[in-house]
Amino acid sequence: MTEISTATSSELRIASQSPVARFSLRMREGDRTALGQTLGLDLPGTIGRRTTAGDREALCLGPDEWLLLAPEDERTAITDAAGRVYADHPHSLTEISDRELTILVEGAQAEELLSFACPRDLGRLEPSHGVRTVFDGVSVVLWRDAADRFRLDVWRSFASHVRELLEIGAEELALGL
Amino acid sequence: MTRFRVKGAGRVRHDRPVRFTFDGRSFKGREGDTVASALLANGVHLLGRSFKYHRPRGIMTAGSEEPNALINTSRGAGRAEPNTRATVQEIWPGLRTQSQNKWPNLKFDVGAVNDRLYMLFSAGFYYKTFMWPKSFWDRIYEPVIRNAAGLGKAPSEPDPDRYASRYLHTDLLVVGAGPAGLAAAREAAQAGLRVTLVDENAEMGGSLLSEPGVKIDGQAAWDWLAATLVELEERGVRLLCRTTAIGYYHQNMLGLVQRLTDHLETPAESAPRERMWRVRATQVILAQGALEKPLVFDGNDRPGVLLAGAAQTFLNRYGVRVGARAVVATSHDSAWFAAFDLADAGTKVAAIVDTRAEPGAALLAAAEARGIAVLTSHTVTGTKGRLRVASVRVNPLKNGQVGAARSLDCDCLLISGGWTPSLHLFSHTKGSLAWDEETRSFLPDRKTEACEIAGAGRGLWGVAAALEDGVAAGRACILAAGKEATASSAVAVEDDRPGSGESHKELPSDRKPGRARAFVDYQNDVTAKDIRLAVREGMRSIEHVKRYTTNGMATDQGKMSNINGLMIAADAVGKPPPEVGLTTFRPPYTPTSFGAFAGYHRGNHFEVTRKTGIDAWAEAEGAVFEPVAQWRRAWYFPKDGEDMAAAVARECAATRGSLGIFDASTLGKIEVAGPDAVTFMNRMYTNPWTKLAPGRCRYGLLLGEDGFIRDDGVIGRLSADRFHVTTTTGGAARVLNMMEDYLQTEWPDLKVWLTSTTEQWATIALNGPNARHLLVPLVKGLDLSDSAFPHMSVAECEVAGLPARLFRVSFSGELGFEVNVPARYGRQLWESLIEAGSAYDICPYGTETMHVLRAEKGFIIVGQDTDGTVTPDDAGLGWAIGKAKADFVGKRSLARPDLVASGRKQLVGLLTDDATTKLEEGAQIVADPRQALPMKMIGHVTSSYHSSALGRPIALALIEDGRALEGKTLYVPMPGAAHAATVTGTLFYDPDGKRLKL
Amino acid sequence: MLLIDCPYCKESLPELEFAYAGEAHIARPEDPSTLGDEAWRDFLFIRTNAKGPHFERWRHLHGCGRFFNAVRDTVSDRFLVTYKAGEAGPDLQSLKEGGE
Repeated sequence: MTEISTATSSELRIASQSPVARFSLRMREGDRTALGQTLGLDLPGTIGRRTTAGDREALCLGPDEWLLLAPEDERTAITDAAGRVYADHPHSLTEISDRELTILVEGAQAEELLSFACPRDLGRLEPSHGVRTVFDGVSVVLWRDAADRFRLDVWRSFASHVRELLEIGAEELALGL
Repeated sequence: MTRFRVKGAGRVRHDRPVRFTFDGRSFKGREGDTVASALLANGVHLLGRSFKYHRPRGIMTAGSEEPNALINTSRGAGRAEPNTRATVQEIWPGLRTQSQNKWPNLKFDVGAVNDRLYMLFSAGFYYKTFMWPKSFWDRIYEPVIRNAAGLGKAPSEPDPDRYASRYLHTDLLVVGAGPAGLAAAREAAQAGLRVTLVDENAEMGGSLLSEPGVKIDGQAAWDWLAATLVELEERGVRLLCRTTAIGYYHQNMLGLVQRLTDHLETPAESAPRERMWRVRATQVILAQGALEKPLVFDGNDRPGVLLAGAAQTFLNRYGVRVGARAVVATSHDSAWFAAFDLADAGTKVAAIVDTRAEPGAALLAAAEARGIAVLTSHTVTGTKGRLRVASVRVNPLKNGQVGAARSLDCDCLLISGGWTPSLHLFSHTKGSLAWDEETRSFLPDRKTEACEIAGAGRGLWGVAAALEDGVAAGRACILAAGKEATASSAVAVEDDRPGSGESHKELPSDRKPGRARAFVDYQNDVTAKDIRLAVREGMRSIEHVKRYTTNGMATDQGKMSNINGLMIAADAVGKPPPEVGLTTFRPPYTPTSFGAFAGYHRGNHFEVTRKTGIDAWAEAEGAVFEPVAQWRRAWYFPKDGEDMAAAVARECAATRGSLGIFDASTLGKIEVAGPDAVTFMNRMYTNPWTKLAPGRCRYGLLLGEDGFIRDDGVIGRLSADRFHVTTTTGGAARVLNMMEDYLQTEWPDLKVWLTSTTEQWATIALNGPNARHLLVPLVKGLDLSDSAFPHMSVAECEVAGLPARLFRVSFSGELGFEVNVPARYGRQLWESLIEAGSAYDICPYGTETMHVLRAEKGFIIVGQDTDGTVTPDDAGLGWAIGKAKADFVGKRSLARPDLVASGRKQLVGLLTDDATTKLEEGAQIVADPRQALPMKMIGHVTSSYHSSALGRPIALALIEDGRALEGKTLYVPMPGAAHAATVTGTLFYDPDGKRLKL
Repeated sequence: MLLIDCPYCKESLPELEFAYAGEAHIARPEDPSTLGDEAWRDFLFIRTNAKGPHFERWRHLHGCGRFFNAVRDTVSDRFLVTYKAGEAGPDLQSLKEGGE
């Protein structure tokens, strides 16, 4: 995934990610395995856990909710595959590729920067996990890709607010006060 | 070097002079000084005038509990801070400070006349005096009193500073970095806990900073302190100084305010001034020490009178003698130590006056060795000196009798009435306190949070006891965290000076008690006499005494006055102190700036402003915006100096005449999908959905279970199992939440799922007779003819090369379409349509025109024409109810007696008889404007616009039994006149709907 | 700010992620049309307003999205227990003994 723009300080990089195909997948627990097989990845059964297969990535957000990421050119393949099992494994697969924008936060101070407005104990969010949480009152899906690398999926109209706060925070951290 | 600066003493940098001003006069201090210590070094004690009596006041303390020495600090426009405690504010080159509450100046203050009239200003004075006439209170009494009594003045410019905030999660938060806090933090850090240690002072160390003579583990106190701080840092302890724990909330959540730049000469422009830390700690140790109490006697507030412990701190921490000739008056050993330190530093200690008969032999010996006169069993009955204490009046006490007075000359009077454990934060948790007879103070009792109290907070005096208790508290937290404590080495302390003492109500006097100005609460000018008067006048509970006298209600929250006030009240009531009780401490511990609470939420970030992808285009076109929920929406697009009315009239005419384009992206959208989608829709909305064919749309009405309208919107059926639901802009989140609620908790058996797609789609509405003409050449894969794609249809297709969901709907009464494309393409589609639309003079319009067009058609806006008490029938929407449906949310309520009764307010049209007056939205409606007051109001105007299509103003109104009044004349009283208006139907324009079918 | 145990996420999380949703265990009648006016009024409007342990609903809005039930003491503001929607409410007596 390529970045479109960056704001940097010595310890931090804030970047926007180029779009991916993003789906909200809703179903009952009993249909998880079948949907996973159809979509080509083992859908995680625990909230906060992620799985990947090739370029596809799934995150369990709730007991009946998964977020599915894939390259943009696989969009139709995914919809078609899910459609084929719908009758036996009813579900809702709704495209939300354009609903969110993704902001990348990377660097030694990344966790500290997020603590400016995220009330969660981020020390307990393990790398390669993800959760929906809140950042300055805004609902975000927070992916921890590594100890010092995060992604925030933010609804499009909230993204500039979140991004600007992150940049103010990065500037503040650079001052070392 | 001034007379009062002690060479080589204290922690200030004697080699680094710092110049600052106080009331315009330049003073020299040292790096490390506070304003208070620097002024004292220059012999200045007079810092302000008191709140009520305008009495001259000086520095009482050396810390944040200071009640008197409040100053204004400033560093340029907007950067002024009133009520800054001079004992906390550090000096820096160029700092400007001013005294407060005086006119024309500090030494001659006209307001001091209040002091002569003090007999009038007793407890409850305002309540008793300014009662009549009632109207005088707002206009005369309150403004005058507020002007005469007061503290600093708030700056009038906006505060240009930035404020920061952060969340912090820690295993252990230690509040207070004195010996107890340091020992606790070190113990816990050694066992591997994540520890945060905070202290409100400019540096860590607490009482050790004032006790350099103590030896800990063979090291001088300050060497031990330095080594301990290095160790804590190495062990990863987060050390925050200049950081005040202001509040202790549920489940070990604490608010900390860190002062970042107030002590800096030239902070970076973007540097935040303060930071609010919101800390969640698994465990908390409160090691906040104790606060010294004054003795209560006549004239105990004169400049030059200060707490003995403060004098000791000014000497040992700042290298400043508070005077050249001191008298010490005390009921506690600790003041003796202050006297000895001052005597050793060259101050003449004229006498130590102790209320006790037999202070310890060691104290007496130490005093004798220094040649200090000692007066035991003595009371203090007065002071003299206009702007600074010059003498103190003392009398012997014998068998409860006050003997003959003598006067002792001095330039400072050090007083100590013992110590009060600082338990404010503990009290925030509703932890209970228990009266301890031995220390005559309240000590922590039952805890409600996972916290420990260590050191002087538990009534343990001295460095050794604090260290030992800190270690114990640290170990308790280690065990509670399930970790193992390392073998703790006992800490050896030499030359400790713990001390003990007794506690008093006001000191006995030979003078008439009614004339004594013996202050209990210095900041609010409350005297012992006031408290006794309150009790005489019937106040029994300490909470009542507090409110009647304002004791403890000043910005210092009674840090010095609470226990003294209680002692006096208990004596007056004739009950032991614990039965009279203690008032409640509430956050914040010290006054806190609004900026610290606001954090980043100022200016553009005051709250989130949501913008659509087309917003930037509208801004470039000069649109005027209005806020709608969190969104900002284009309100209208003025051209060439048009005002709002002209712009809206033009936009309306252009849309009805040819083609208008509108950004409807903010509309809420919810995708309802699953085998039970139609069942779910039938249950949620009033309308029937079963027979709605895929590809068709229907207006949907959503009620609350109470039968009142909650939301509405057009809903398209995309396939048998999938609906595209739209909601109002402001209702999107609420509707989704309500749907999820029913689905998860009432109908978990339904196989249907909800996804918000509000921001997945950019939505552009095209309205006007040329809407189809514009679209046809741009649309691929869909026949747009009226027969193939009639009004209320939906289809997937391609518009201007983009994948689209196209709706044929209308909120204007004109031929209308709504094009939904993935949000990233919103701007692109908009510009394509604008370009292609130039052939039809396409006109971008805003929310105001949208409102006018819909009102001309009588379409409601939920939340404007409804207010949460409007049923479908009230709104004239009875047709939207699926009568054949057994149930839907709110159906049962529609049969509630009060919802079917006559007299309900119904939505009707209203046309002013003069055809020119536009009624005010919200204006009340009466049947007869000549009736007696108060008039019976039978309804109100909900929507009102000038209609360019009709060439006159139109209005919608909710009126009792309104539909039965059609054709009748009612009246709308507005400023100036009551306007006659005729009740009509709600459909003002194109009643047959011909324009939809073009 | 409280910490709330989400019974679905099985984690103790900040209150800011949650939204209050009224009193718990007030089921919508299977067929509201069979209810008399007073019974329906009670369903709509009459609530316990407990001083002390209170059965209530919360939603992990900025999280897993689930509605769940809780017993919270309205005097101390403490959560005594949280449990999934649809599960029976706990016995208050056992909670008091186990808590405090």
